[in-house]
Amino acid sequence: MDIFIQLIYSGIALGMIYGVIAFGYQLTFATSSTLNFGQGEALMLGAMVGLTLSNLGVNYWLIIPIVCIFGLVQGSVVEYFGVRPAIKIKSEFGWIMSTIALGVIFRNLAENIWGRGTYRFQGPVADEPLKIFGANILPMEILVVIGAVAMMLMVEIFNRKSIYGKAVIATANDRDASGLMGINTSLVITFSYALSSLTACFAGVLIAPLTLAGASAGGSLGLKAFAVAIVGGLSSGFGIIVGGIILGISETLTGFYISTGYKDVPSLIILLIVLSIKPSGLFGKTTIKKV
Amino acid sequence: MKSKYLFITIGIILLSIFPIFIHNEYYVHMVERILIYSILLFGLDIVVGYTGQVSLGHAGLFGIGAYVAGILYFKLGAPFIVIVPLAIIIACIFGLILALPALKVLGPYMAMVTLAFGTIIQILINEMTFLTEGPLGIKLLKPVIFGFQTQTIHYFWIVLSLSILSLIVVNRILKSRLGRAFEALRDSPVACDCMGVSVYKYKVYAFVISAGFAGLSGCLYAFSEQYISPNTYSFELTVLFLLAIIMGGRKTRLGAFIGAAIIIILPQLLSDVYLFRNVATVLAAIIIVGAVILVSKKLSTFKKVFVPIASVISLVVFSYIIKSIGDWRLTIFGCMILLVVYYLQDGIVGFSRNFYISIFSSKNKSRDDVELSKLSNEDAILYAKNSSTSKILLNLKSVLMQFGGLKALNDVDLIVKKGTIHGLIGPNGSGKSTLINVLTGIYVPTSGNVEFSDKSIVGQTSAKIALSGIARTFQNVQLFSEMTAIENIMVALNHTYKSNLLEIALNLPRFKKEEVNAKQRAYSLLKFVGLNELANEEARNLPYGKQRLLEIARALALDSNLLLLDEPAAGLTAPDIKELLKIISRIKEHGITIILIEHHMEVVMAISDTISVLDFGQKIAEGKPKEVQANKKVIEAYLGAETA
Repeated sequence: MDIFIQLIYSGIALGMIYGVIAFGYQLTFATSSTLNFGQGEALMLGAMVGLTLSNLGVNYWLIIPIVCIFGLVQGSVVEYFGVRPAIKIKSEFGWIMSTIALGVIFRNLAENIWGRGTYRFQGPVADEPLKIFGANILPMEILVVIGAVAMMLMVEIFNRKSIYGKAVIATANDRDASGLMGINTSLVITFSYALSSLTACFAGVLIAPLTLAGASAGGSLGLKAFAVAIVGGLSSGFGIIVGGIILGISETLTGFYISTGYKDVPSLIILLIVLSIKPSGLFGKTTIKKV
Repeated sequence: MKSKYLFITIGIILLSIFPIFIHNEYYVHMVERILIYSILLFGLDIVVGYTGQVSLGHAGLFGIGAYVAGILYFKLGAPFIVIVPLAIIIACIFGLILALPALKVLGPYMAMVTLAFGTIIQILINEMTFLTEGPLGIKLLKPVIFGFQTQTIHYFWIVLSLSILSLIVVNRILKSRLGRAFEALRDSPVACDCMGVSVYKYKVYAFVISAGFAGLSGCLYAFSEQYISPNTYSFELTVLFLLAIIMGGRKTRLGAFIGAAIIIILPQLLSDVYLFRNVATVLAAIIIVGAVILVSKKLSTFKKVFVPIASVISLVVFSYIIKSIGDWRLTIFGCMILLVVYYLQDGIVGFSRNFYISIFSSKNKSRDDVELSKLSNEDAILYAKNSSTSKILLNLKSVLMQFGGLKALNDVDLIVKKGTIHGLIGPNGSGKSTLINVLTGIYVPTSGNVEFSDKSIVGQTSAKIALSGIARTFQNVQLFSEMTAIENIMVALNHTYKSNLLEIALNLPRFKKEEVNAKQRAYSLLKFVGLNELANEEARNLPYGKQRLLEIARALALDSNLLLLDEPAAGLTAPDIKELLKIISRIKEHGITIILIEHHMEVVMAISDTISVLDFGQKIAEGKPKEVQANKKVIEAYLGAETA
C-alpha cells in the first residue's frame, strides 16, 4: 500500500510537469492555432542549459531565471523560423513540418553539445524522503508541484491583469479584429511562443533533479504532454492539471506494476480513445464550423 | 504523353539490366532500397499529397510490414508468396485501426495521433519479445520461391517488379474516382460531404490503401536487409519519409522516387565530410547562380532570394567547420525540411516543371487526352424521382438552431411543395444560410424536425443527406479549386459508380465503362450551364460568375429532388443573371424542386412560386410574391418601422 501511495505522489509530480508543457501548447494554440511539435525539446534544452549552469556552480535559484530567459529566446527563434512563414502562407502542413524539423535540429544540437548520455542534476533541496500518510515523498516532488502551479498562475495573472496580457487574450479571441484595433498580432504570437518555451524550459529545470537530464529526453515528453492537452482540452486551464495528474499516475503505476518499457503506452492509448470519442478534449469546447 | 511512356519504359529497362552489369552488391542493394522506399512513398503521397493530412505513423506501418514478414518467416517458416499478401493485409488492418480515431480529427491533432500510434508500435515491437525477439532483432534469409533459393539479383528483380506493379496500381487509383475524391476532400471538405462523398470515409480509404503500401514496403525491406530490429522504425524514419515526399514533390510518382533516392543516398554522402564539403559548395553555386538569374530577369526580388542564399552560404561555412559529419546528419535533414517547406513547396519535380514552363513559356496542356467535344450529348439532367404520392417534399417542424445564447433559427415551420421554386428572403443575418446548413446536415438542429420525402433527416451526415436527394450550392463558392471544371462535376458523380477498389486496380471493364459514362454526363452538365469550352480549366482560374454556374452544374450531378441555391446571382452581371434565370427554369422543368436564397429581388420575385421571409431567425411572412411584397412586416424588416 505504501508503495502505491508513493507511486501516486510521483505520478502527481510527473503529471504537473506534463501539465506545464500542455499549458505551453495552450498558449500558442490560443493566439495562432498552432502548436510547437518540438515543445519536448524546449524542456530538454531548459534542463541541459540548467545542468551546465549548475556544473559551473551557479545556485539553483539563480539558474531558474536564466533558463527562463533562454526559453524566451528559444521560443522566439521557433516562432520566427518555423511558424511565422507558415502563418503568412496559411499552410498548416508548413508549421507542423517546420516545428518538427526545428525539434529534430535542437535535439541533434544538444546531442552534439552535451553528448548522448544522461546526467544527474542536483536539486536545491535534500534528497532524503519525507513521510506523508506513511509513504515516502521526495521534497523535490513537492517543489515540482508548487513550482508548476505557481508558473501557470503567474502566466494567467499576467494575461488577465496586465495590458500586454490583454493583448494576448484579445488576439486569442479574434486575431483579425485585434489587428485592426492596433495590436501587433504577429508580435503577440511571437510572445506566446516565447512564453510557451519559457514554461517548458522552466519545467525542464524542475523535473531534471527527479529524473535525469539528457539530450533525448524531450521527444516522448512532448507527445505525452500533448495527450494531456487533449484530455484536458486545448482551452481549459483546469483540464490540463486534471489530465496531467491522470496521465502521470497511470504512467508511474504502469511502470511499476507492468514494466517500465510499457510506461508510455497508457497515455498514448488514452489520447487515442479521447480523440475518437470527443475530439475537442474532455474539458474543451466544441467549435462551430462556418460555411 | 507518348514521350512520357517512352521515358518510363527506358527507365525500367535500365533499372532491370543494371545489376547484370554492375556486380557490386552495395550498389544493387542501394537501388533496391530506393525502390522499396518508393513503394511506401507512393502510399504516403496519397495521404500527404492528395488528402493533405500529415501522417507521422508511417514508420510504424512500415515496421508492421517488416515484422509480419520477420515473425511469419522466423516463427512459422511461411513462404514468401504467403508472407507478402499477409504483410499488406495486416498493415491495412492496423491502418484501419489507426484511421478510425485519427481521421475524425484535423491537422495537428491528426499528426499527433499518428505520432502516438507510431510510438506505440515501436514500444510494442521492443517489448513483445515472445513475438518479435525485442531488441535482439530477427534474422532472415533471402526468400525461397517455389523451392528456388533467390540470390541478390533475383530478389532485386522481385522488388523491381513489385514496385512497378505498385506504381501502376497507385496511378490507377489516383486517376479514378477515388483519387478525385481524395483531392476534393482536401480542397473543400464541406462541399465534398455535400456532394455525397463522405470526407471521413474517403480519408479512411486513403489511409488504409496507404497503409497497404507501407506494409508491402516493410515486408520487402525485411528480406532485403535480412535483419530487422526495433530501432529502425522510429520517429526519425517517419520524418525522413515526409522529407522525401515534400522534397521529391507531392502528387507525382517521379517525385516519390526522387525523394526515396535522396533519403537513401544522402546519408552515404554525409558519411564523407570531404565529399559533403564539395557537394555543399556546388549546391551553393547552383542556388546563387539561379538566384542571380531570377533577380536579373525580375522574376524574384532580392529580399525573397536572400534567405536561401544566406542558408547555402552558411551551409558551406558549416561544412568546413565540422570534423565529423555523421553526428550532424539530423540537423542537416532538419534544415532541409525547413528549406523545402518554405522555398521548394512543389518539391524538385514541381519546381523543375514550373521552371520549364516559365523558361519555355509553353502553355499548360490540357490535362485530359480524351476529346471531350466528341462525347455524346444526352439530356444532362435526370427527371426528379417521384417515389411518394405526397405533394410535400420538405417539411420543417418548429426547427430551433441555437448557438450559445443566439437563436439563429427560432421555431421555424416551413413546407416546400414538390416541383416548385420556393424563394427564401430576409435581411442579412436572418438565418437563411443557417437554414440551408440545417437542411444539408452541416448543423444538427437543437430541436424540431426536418422531414424530407416523409422521412426525418435530422442527425444524418451531410453525405447521406446529399445521397438521399438534397443538393446545394454555397454562398461563398466552395469549388474544388485545384481540380478542373469537369473533375469537379465528376466528384459529385461519385454516386453513379459501383466498381470497387479491385476493379479499379485491375482496370476491369465495368469500371472503364462507368468512367466513360461519368465523363459524358459531366460534359453534358457543363454544356447545360454553358461551360463546356472550359471543361479542362482549373476551377480556381474561372471567373467568379462562371464558378457559380459550375457549382450549380456540380449540384445537378447528384441527381437530387431538391436543389438549394444559396445566392446564385451574387456577383453576377445583368446578362449573366438572365442566363441564370433560364437555367433555373429549365431545372424546374425537370421536376426538381428548388429553394432559392437571393438578395436580387427581381430574380426572386420573377421565378418563385412561393416566398418565405425570415427575420431574426423567425418566419415573418409567407405567400405568393405579390402578397409578400405588400406585407407590412416584410417592409418593416427591410426598411425599418415607421416611427409615429
